[in-house]
Amino acid sequence: MLFAMSRNPEEPVYNRIEAARTALGLSRQELADKVGVHYQTVGYLEREEYSPSLVLALRIAKALNQEVSELFSQTPFKKGK
Amino acid sequence: MFKKNKIYWFEGVTEKGVKSLLTDENSKYRWLRSQRNRRILVVLMALGTAFVAAGSYWPTLKTNLNLSDGAEVVIYSVTAIFAIFAILMGYLFLRISVRGIADAPDELLDERQIKIRDTSFRYAYYGFGYIVLVLLLLMNIGPEVKLFQPEGNDGSYLIISMMFLCAALPSMILAWRERDI
Repeated sequence: MLFAMSRNPEEPVYNRIEAARTALGLSRQELADKVGVHYQTVGYLEREEYSPSLVLALRIAKALNQEVSELFSQTPFKKGK
Repeated sequence: MFKKNKIYWFEGVTEKGVKSLLTDENSKYRWLRSQRNRRILVVLMALGTAFVAAGSYWPTLKTNLNLSDGAEVVIYSVTAIFAIFAILMGYLFLRISVRGIADAPDELLDERQIKIRDTSFRYAYYGFGYIVLVLLLLMNIGPEVKLFQPEGNDGSYLIISMMFLCAALPSMILAWRERDI
């Protein structure tokens, strides 16, 4: 069906972008400006509805002063970690 | 310092135009961006396009209203111009509702936007292909439906609507599918 196809058939990538961003006091727009994407793309990333490319993941990690492995995972993050 | 506004001829957009749509500079069109309103617009556009495509089959008014040939031609032409103008306006609104993503070049979009634009074009290609296939089949049985016949549909309205659909289908699909634009 044209309009019922899976949006993201790949394996989900979990992330802690929102927690890291708010810890730094950044808005979505500010983070988006830092990494060169639209602010809605940051929203999609935070809701885990979009998995970033490696280049974007590296840029986000740099902007949030974190390692990629600390921000992204193929398994859900434990709460409070 | 005046910065040159780059024109993307192939895509039919300008750098400033796309950036303006992407950055919410003009908030008066924000109401268009909800998924519900975008979907309503897509349905209206589809109905409008089908209406124009069937232009040569519009029922004649002459026999019902006792009009002269001249009056009928005027009413027919005005209706056609209005219908075409309406779908062109709809197309402009549609472009605004999807922030011009479907028509924007790679260098003005981020990786997610490029991905959803390309997906829309892929579906539009399928959709357009099916429509062309149906039209070719109709041509094959042309004499029965008087398609592309001098005394029936000369094809002009069909060509106008197909040209429109070719340009608008990616935006229509994008407007329908995406939750947030």
